[in-house]
Amino acid sequence: MKKYILITASLILGVFLVSACSKSQSNEKKKVAVVISTLNNPWFVILAESAAENARKLGYEAKIFDSQNSPAVESDNFENLISSEFDAILFNPTDADGSVSNVLRAKAAGIPVFCMDREINNDDAATSQILSDNYSGCVEVGIEFVKALKEKGTYVEILGLVGDNNTWARSKGFHSVVDKFSNLKMVAQQSGDFDRNKAMEVLETIMQAYPNIDAVFCGNDAMALGAYQALQAAGKTKVKVFGFDGASEVIEKIKEGKIVATGMQYPKIMAKTAAQYADEYVKGKRDFPQRVPVEVELVNSANAKNY
Amino acid sequence: MKKIIISSVLAVVAIYNSIYIESLDELKQKKESNFDFAKYSQDLYQQILSKSQAVELSQLLSSFATKDHASVAKYGNRLGIGSSAYYLVKCQAKILEVQGDRLKVLASGNRPLEIDTKFIFGNAIRDASGLVKLTDFKTTAEFNKISESLNTIIREKAIPDEIKTVKVGDTIDLVGAVKLGEKQEDLLNLSVLPIKISKI
Repeated sequence: MKKYILITASLILGVFLVSACSKSQSNEKKKVAVVISTLNNPWFVILAESAAENARKLGYEAKIFDSQNSPAVESDNFENLISSEFDAILFNPTDADGSVSNVLRAKAAGIPVFCMDREINNDDAATSQILSDNYSGCVEVGIEFVKALKEKGTYVEILGLVGDNNTWARSKGFHSVVDKFSNLKMVAQQSGDFDRNKAMEVLETIMQAYPNIDAVFCGNDAMALGAYQALQAAGKTKVKVFGFDGASEVIEKIKEGKIVATGMQYPKIMAKTAAQYADEYVKGKRDFPQRVPVEVELVNSANAKNY
Repeated sequence: MKKIIISSVLAVVAIYNSIYIESLDELKQKKESNFDFAKYSQDLYQQILSKSQAVELSQLLSSFATKDHASVAKYGNRLGIGSSAYYLVKCQAKILEVQGDRLKVLASGNRPLEIDTKFIFGNAIRDASGLVKLTDFKTTAEFNKISESLNTIIREKAIPDEIKTVKVGDTIDLVGAVKLGEKQEDLLNLSVLPIKISKI
């Protein structure tokens, strides 16, 4: 008899614990992971923090993962957040091709992925990709470049990460204009990995072979600032520098006439849209556009005061 | 000794044939599809001209001036998120000045306009047409190549042929693309990317 009482009591306790547990789970906040290519660049810090902040505003618990520009670290991050059962991922990939498998793993685990700023080369893996219109932005930078150089001169292009689609979209947009002007000669094209110090070193090396360049086009503003630093150190103050991003330091330099132009991207808009989409997905929506371009605006000396 | 030489030669041949190097640019180009962008763009150019869904420039600008948002939204095309949209416009205009690659014209309603025949680049014309969807293409790079191809037809063939036939004082029919911001207030200094210029 004592045995039956014990078994019955255990069963009641078990049922109570399970019900308490499930009640506590239903009260638990849903979780959004923000996976960012690198937090070693202020632009991506803004993107990450805006994404997390918007997710929190929508009632989610948000955690930021730094992939340190390494596909291997990114893969570990995905493994971690899949096993931790996150409800959505706001994702800034490290590599257009290399990151696809991570997104597919999340998809297989039933976790929607919303790419921010950087595109992956697959139109069926991510739920949606919210991307700067890098090509159009760099077409405008290219037109400004041609006009500023009066259609002639020699220049250097410093590319971003070679595995990132944004690098090539920017380069292609720029060259779609500049290559039509035969008196503009590119003497060197090298990667600066979107990194300020690397761009500075790259330009210092290039200038040993080509000391008389007229301009430098950089795939982002961090590299434009690195290039500007290298030019200052070499006393080459007349070389025209062009960037892309719309970093506040570069906007200031445009106002001072030290950098010619940049393309203004809107990381906060991309982050907010991605968080909103994730929230809509969690609430049941399934029909999202695969790619959503976000306008990029040209900033030059004529309009820098507005930014 | 002979055996060693033969083995070495075979090894070198095997290694040489197992590795090949190509530039990143070439690799990226190869990865893109074999889609015939030139043909697609030629057809698109004809469609833009034949469908003639362009709005009268004066009508568009009057909607802008009176903040008639519904009309502005109806005429414009925007692909994603942003404060600007592209518009396919048409008007009659008198050529006032030819400054290199720019035509200064006076459009109907005494509106001065600049037609930029040199910097016909970017996605303005493709997007203003409203005839191409981002979902029609697998990658953004392919989608952008449509613009490059279309712009090349207009910038390097159509417009140079057409402006040869016009001079200061002529009246022309213009079809073009214009980008306007939501809060754009300066409607007086507009620059239009031409798609077709025909002397009347």
